Amino acid sequence: MKKLTALLLALLLALGCCAAFAEGDEITLDVIICQYGPNTNDWFLGTGMNGTNFVDKFEAENPGIKLNLEVVSWNDVYTEVSTRISNNNAPDILNIDVFADYAAEGLLLPVSDYCPEDLFSDFFPQFIEQSVIDGTVWAVPDLASARAMWVNTDILAEVGVEIPKTWAELEDVSQAIVDFYDGEVYPYGMDMTTDEGQAAFAYFVWNNGGGFVDEEGKLCVNTDKNVEAIEFAIGLVNKGYTNPNPATQTRYDLQDMFGAGKLAMVVAPNQLPTYLADKDYNVNYVSAPLPVNGDGVTPASVGVMDRVMAFRDDEYPDQAARNEAIGKFLKFFYDPENYVGWVSMEGFLPAVNSSVAALVESDPSFEAWLDVLGGCQFYPTADPKWNDTKQGVIDVEQKALTGGDVRTLLDELQAKLEG
Amino acid sequence: MNSIPIRHKWEPYLWLLPSLLLMSIFVVFPIGIVFKLSMSDISKAGIVGSWNSFANFRAVFRDPAFGTVMMNTAVWVVSVVGLSTLLGFITAMVLNQKFLGRKVARSIVVFPWATSLVIQASVWNYIIKGEYGNLNNVLLNLGILRGAVNWRATYQIEFAWECGVGIFVTIPFVAFTVLAGLQSIDEAYYEAATVDGAGFWKKLRHVTIPLVRPSLTVCTVLNIIYVFNSFPIIYTITKGAPANKTDTMVTFLYMRAFYDNQKGAATAMSVIGFAILCVCAGAYMVISMRKEER
Repeated sequence: MKKLTALLLALLLALGCCAAFAEGDEITLDVIICQYGPNTNDWFLGTGMNGTNFVDKFEAENPGIKLNLEVVSWNDVYTEVSTRISNNNAPDILNIDVFADYAAEGLLLPVSDYCPEDLFSDFFPQFIEQSVIDGTVWAVPDLASARAMWVNTDILAEVGVEIPKTWAELEDVSQAIVDFYDGEVYPYGMDMTTDEGQAAFAYFVWNNGGGFVDEEGKLCVNTDKNVEAIEFAIGLVNKGYTNPNPATQTRYDLQDMFGAGKLAMVVAPNQLPTYLADKDYNVNYVSAPLPVNGDGVTPASVGVMDRVMAFRDDEYPDQAARNEAIGKFLKFFYDPENYVGWVSMEGFLPAVNSSVAALVESDPSFEAWLDVLGGCQFYPTADPKWNDTKQGVIDVEQKALTGGDVRTLLDELQAKLEG
Repeated sequence: MNSIPIRHKWEPYLWLLPSLLLMSIFVVFPIGIVFKLSMSDISKAGIVGSWNSFANFRAVFRDPAFGTVMMNTAVWVVSVVGLSTLLGFITAMVLNQKFLGRKVARSIVVFPWATSLVIQASVWNYIIKGEYGNLNNVLLNLGILRGAVNWRATYQIEFAWECGVGIFVTIPFVAFTVLAGLQSIDEAYYEAATVDGAGFWKKLRHVTIPLVRPSLTVCTVLNIIYVFNSFPIIYTITKGAPANKTDTMVTFLYMRAFYDNQKGAATAMSVIGFAILCVCAGAYMVISMRKEER
């Protein structure tokens, strides 16, 4: 009996091996997609694409290419990707926000190797520029979002103040709200958490004429403008004009407070209405430009863009076939027939021209946001030291919250970035 | 005739083989890899480079946040293990008494331990949220508070909350280990002690504690290891913010590895943590075993 079982097992094993070899000409692409919201998984793998899903539809239309597609949460994707790289098992196609480290270490394929030209010319050029290092494009944008200051109009009307346009007005309005509600409503939402504290840094330095880089594009975080901006932001917290725990209250906490009518103003992406509607919040609000320091500064909006990139796999025997398969994946993804559903599903903004018309038709509010997006500033994500900068400015903010001197902290960070 | 004793010799090893094999694949081998990584260059993207002797360790010791983090780790381990042992011991003593509903009480005590740590930590996170936290709601509704209180006003208070949650979830483990020890004590010892005129404290000191010491030792060693390596509570409640002031070693090394992309330093730190644990747990075991022998 035992012998029989062993024989059967051996036979099964042999069959398994045969099956593995029988795949032949098929190419399988490992794809990692980030989870943007509750619908992402359903759209790619479930039934969210009019009863079918991305993978099934793609495989039906592209015989010979199989997708091994995984939807990974933003919390885990960095861990997953770096573990896979360490184990020499990088995905073929990756959707994520960062790319400079991968490009700098020679892990990525240049976009020109696999992206069909008609598709390449379809991307908004100002987005493509964000993924260039030394003249080579290393990634393409998958979608974007733009941020604005969302204001609870009921609160402002009740207090009898206007939407602040400058920092001075922001302080006056905040004081008026604090006085009126006796601390029950927080005037301004501040997120200096480890998750996204770099955004708060951008909101204030960009609207004070500062930034992450100097005129030559070199990282430069300790300018006078930046020091002034961060001191102002920390001042807002210390004066009691913000939520009480900026180091641990994430943007989602703030959005919930805003929805619950506990917060008068919050900087959030264009998808905020979708977020509030999904959670059944019922407040009246409008979006407005971010307040600036003084009248002369043009309000800067913050654009956030994620990317799709392809990793090298030098051991793959037929590189041309692999590149072609990756190109087909992109063509299929950005085809308006598929892409419009993807972008509008979670309320994002598109990265290609060909889908704009269809999107504006389905939701006219898109048009205004596309204008905002046109004037957006982006994080310098093409700099290989961007991650250090991002973590560094968050550290500076959190140290300043506990009493550190902003100038000293930014000087130290600058020295570290240059070192 | 000789075959039986020989078989007896190798048979235990045969039965141990699967566990040994599993342990070497899933425990010993990964530990070896971490030791190797801790002395290698690891790029930001995660590519493992060449041997760099002890550069990763030097980077860890030069990190200005490392001192704060080690101090936090010490406070975290000592307070959580110490207080949960004390409170768990008292709980076990109470649960060992005969009273109506004892079984129900015992099962309730096990709840915090039976729930996943992430869920526990998230629930506590909601309880102490300033704006719409349950603690504020309850106190406001009972009329104890007039206005909402920010229960996490400073990072020291936040860290104290984290230690509190750690203690809360660790008590059941201590209580049940000690309870098992208490139940194995023969009533006759207490009767004899009573006859000799010993009161509650004397019985506790001279009968109960010496007899539950073996269970207490095991549970304290395990607790030191668990609590030192505990990740979910701190990661869920503060993520070590602001600026690593509420980080312990484990959350800190996670942030260094996956937020700051300093994987070399992170693996070096995990080796340091491993060494500290070996020393602490080893020393504690040796000391308590000596006491037992006496």
